[in-house]
Amino acid sequence: MAELENQAVELRIDRSGDGAAPTVALSGELDSSNVPQLQTAVAAILAEHPQRVVFDLSGLRFMDSAGISVLVKLAGEIETVQIRDPSPIVRRVIEITGLTDILQVGP
Amino acid sequence: MDSSGVGVEPSWRPSPVALVALITGLVVTALLAVTTAVLYDRNEDRLLGLRAKELGLLFTAAVVPKQTEMASAAALADATGGSVPRFRALIQSQVGPKGQFASASLWRLGGTHPAPVTIIGSAPQITSAQAKELFARAAHSHSLTVKGLLQASEPSIAYALTTTSGRRGFLVYGETRLPVNRRSKLESNTAFSDLDYAIYLGRTTQTPNLLVTSLQDLPVDGRRASSSVPLGDRALTLVVTPRGSLGGTFFRILPWIVVAFGLALSIVAAILADRLARRRERAEELAGSLDRARGEIEQMYTEQRSIAQTLQHALLPETLPEVRGLKVSARYVAASSGVEVGGDWYDVVAAGEHRALLVIGDVSGHGLRAATTMASLRHATLAYAAHDARPSVILSRLSEYVNGSSHDYFATVLCALIDVEAHRLTVASAGHLPPLLLQDGSAIFVEMAPSAPIGVAGESHYSETDISVAAHTTLVAFTDGLVERRGEVIDTGLARLQGAAAGNGESLEDLIAKLPQELASDGHHDDTAIVGIQWQN
Repeated sequence: MAELENQAVELRIDRSGDGAAPTVALSGELDSSNVPQLQTAVAAILAEHPQRVVFDLSGLRFMDSAGISVLVKLAGEIETVQIRDPSPIVRRVIEITGLTDILQVGP
Repeated sequence: MDSSGVGVEPSWRPSPVALVALITGLVVTALLAVTTAVLYDRNEDRLLGLRAKELGLLFTAAVVPKQTEMASAAALADATGGSVPRFRALIQSQVGPKGQFASASLWRLGGTHPAPVTIIGSAPQITSAQAKELFARAAHSHSLTVKGLLQASEPSIAYALTTTSGRRGFLVYGETRLPVNRRSKLESNTAFSDLDYAIYLGRTTQTPNLLVTSLQDLPVDGRRASSSVPLGDRALTLVVTPRGSLGGTFFRILPWIVVAFGLALSIVAAILADRLARRRERAEELAGSLDRARGEIEQMYTEQRSIAQTLQHALLPETLPEVRGLKVSARYVAASSGVEVGGDWYDVVAAGEHRALLVIGDVSGHGLRAATTMASLRHATLAYAAHDARPSVILSRLSEYVNGSSHDYFATVLCALIDVEAHRLTVASAGHLPPLLLQDGSAIFVEMAPSAPIGVAGESHYSETDISVAAHTTLVAFTDGLVERRGEVIDTGLARLQGAAAGNGESLEDLIAKLPQELASDGHHDDTAIVGIQWQN
């Protein structure tokens, strides 16, 4: 019944700095069991109509297609989605899915 | 109404634990009560013994002055030749209600019949015969000689003392009176007011020798202690018995207090034990029903999982087409756990006489929505393929179709057009994992320029890769469930697949069946689709 237990993901949204892009720091494991948490956070950010949103993935150990789809959907709605500091595991998933340009994966 | 069906309430029965608690409590109570009672008894005996000894000492102290007075008087009589005035002067103060004697007298020894020289106080009660016997003893012993005159009209104790050694001389005689009925109470303010007593002349406690007592009935029974003190040539024996409790009332009733408390505690303990036992019983029942509920939930889960798998298979092609010159094999393996349908799909369709089109895709997410999206994408793909089977065209159309309306998913899709005769392969990918080519014992992934998945805004151009393949080449296309593991870079999974697929002479059927089994990690979280196509020559 592993699927019945949600994986733990932690979300921290930083809106500091005047005119700076909101930054969402994700840590833990992001998959379909907890992706609604991210969707809620993204919806809240969208309400502010930002041009750019940064996702800090330095603490994220795993992300499945459900998680990626949230970022991809956001990329279709605002000008820039930036991914910062993904782990090699997450980076390769993004690369192999052909999303490096759309998600602007940074160092 | 028929009342025979009404069950009779089972009569209340204490639990075994409660009975054990009650019996243990009662046994402990009894032991404690008996111990307390025995200790009380011993203590009372000890206290009474001490009191009897004390009382004896007091009596001794009271007797000593009599002896001294009489000895002095006897010595004086000898020295003065029986001077009456001197005797009277000496002994006068000792006679009377406040003195030591009720009667005191001086006697001359040696006559046939003893006769008093002088008498102070009341007349002696002693008879001539008694006097003779007593005086003989006194002359012989030269110390205080005692006799009980208990049958006289005024019961008395007679004392005689002489210091004369010869036949002629003087003897001092005194009497003290006893109460007529021999009953007397010690004054209530004395230290012995809590005792009853009986005093006997001599060392035995025979009633004829009773001098005085505070008791109605003799002999003394119950708890008693005795003590003898010398009185001249005889002795006084003192028997005492307590009126109440010497150690205090509290200690006397202590055993009963123990019994009362012990009983109460035992009953309370039994009731508590009974309640606990019942509560435990109830908890066990509850645990049992929880187990049953758990079993039911597990069964429901299994049922739901089987429904999900049935639905999944219903959404996938029932049979694969027969294309001459090709062998085709496909598998769909559901995640090892979970009740949701997945978004993975595959199709192999004939595209003209010598060509076949392989489509494999994966809609992001799980559940009914992913499955229905998958179904619509699958049918859309087949529709576009019917018009134009070029992979890049199919993907572009699909992308336009999806981006034409609002959506919140994306799908990775791989299209491979297989030319059986020409041994050629045209592949286009929308973010999908590259297929594996097995030829001449080696396994290599098809190298493709990466493009974004279907459903990602703005992407509608997909590049194609053309490859010539050797005879008997096998193409293996799959979804990420086959290679993805948590905590691992996906390249590791791809390399694992490469290793598992390379260099084996097994049939296509066996290979496609084997790969998901071999590569699946324990508790794999994702569904897996895998399709193999093999040139037969």
